[in-house]
Amino acid sequence: MRRALLLLLALAAAVAGCGTSDDRDQARAVVERFYDALRSDDAEAACAELSESLLEQVESQTQQSCEGVITRFEYDGGAIVGAEVYITNAKVNLRGGESAFLGREDGGWKLSAIACKAEKGKPADRPFDCEAEA
Amino acid sequence: MKGERGFLRENSLTIAFLAIFLLSLGGQALVGHSEFNHDQLAHQDATISLSRYLTSSGYWVDVMENWQSEYLQFTLFIFGTVWLVQRGSTESKPPGEEGRESDEDQKIGEHAQPDSPEWAKAGGLRTLVYSNSLLLLMTAIWLGSWFAQLVTGRVEYNEAQLDHHEAALSLWQYAGTSDFWNRTLQNWQSEFLAVASMVVFSVWLRQRGSSQSKPVGEPHASTGAEG
Repeated sequence: MRRALLLLLALAAAVAGCGTSDDRDQARAVVERFYDALRSDDAEAACAELSESLLEQVESQTQQSCEGVITRFEYDGGAIVGAEVYITNAKVNLRGGESAFLGREDGGWKLSAIACKAEKGKPADRPFDCEAEA
Repeated sequence: MKGERGFLRENSLTIAFLAIFLLSLGGQALVGHSEFNHDQLAHQDATISLSRYLTSSGYWVDVMENWQSEYLQFTLFIFGTVWLVQRGSTESKPPGEEGRESDEDQKIGEHAQPDSPEWAKAGGLRTLVYSNSLLLLMTAIWLGSWFAQLVTGRVEYNEAQLDHHEAALSLWQYAGTSDFWNRTLQNWQSEFLAVASMVVFSVWLRQRGSSQSKPVGEPHASTGAEG
């Protein structure tokens, strides 16, 4: 009985946390590079962290190139205070109160939504309000 | 060679079911991986490898939700058949024998036979534990796999939450979601129906040669008789 229980608990622990530590570091690194690029006005580097679909969304919504518009969105920024990874999606939270959402693509983690804030009320039930999202 | 054949023959029921269990688990892995990647592509997300899928909660939540309901079924069936009866069923004791029965009936302590299990002879705590060991193991596996369903279900649920740019839920919050309870109850209801069906069908229907059926000519009113 103990063996069966230990096996199940070990399995649950492995599955619940599998691969996320490395993924968390990579997702944090993407967000760090993105905000570093914004701070140094390097629009090209910032746009390189966006997923293909977010890039398309930004350009079609603004009718401008990503490089021309990415630094003009409203960001609160701040240090990274946490990162959550669930299989192929991630969310990185910043001290200023905003979050960035990421998706895992073939080339690694890419941003799928930027400068996102929780809506008032029950945040789990409705999408965050983002400056740009795919 | 003869010994091996004897082992296979004497354990054929367990071996056959373990074999089809492994085949089904493997089949579920392959089609589950295909379905997962199909959804990923539909959402314009990246696909994942089979090995990554097999260590992901997306696979294990589907496995665990079925395991927990099967072991709950056995847990309740083992416990329920101590106290509840169905006249005429192969799955029931005869009416009038409800309860834990006497030490003599159960062959424990001073009533144990020379070849009874040691813990049945020992008396005290060991006999108490051994007297309930089947129920204890089934309950432990049920609770363990149900907890595993909770943990893995939360990861999969949160993956969809983040994909929709919504907040992730804690384990406690997820335990109160309709997703968790829908996964749970949709499995429970089918298990309970299956048990009730087996109990009742075995009163009137027969399968010649099966241990789960009365002998074909056994009267309908005969309870607990197995072929």
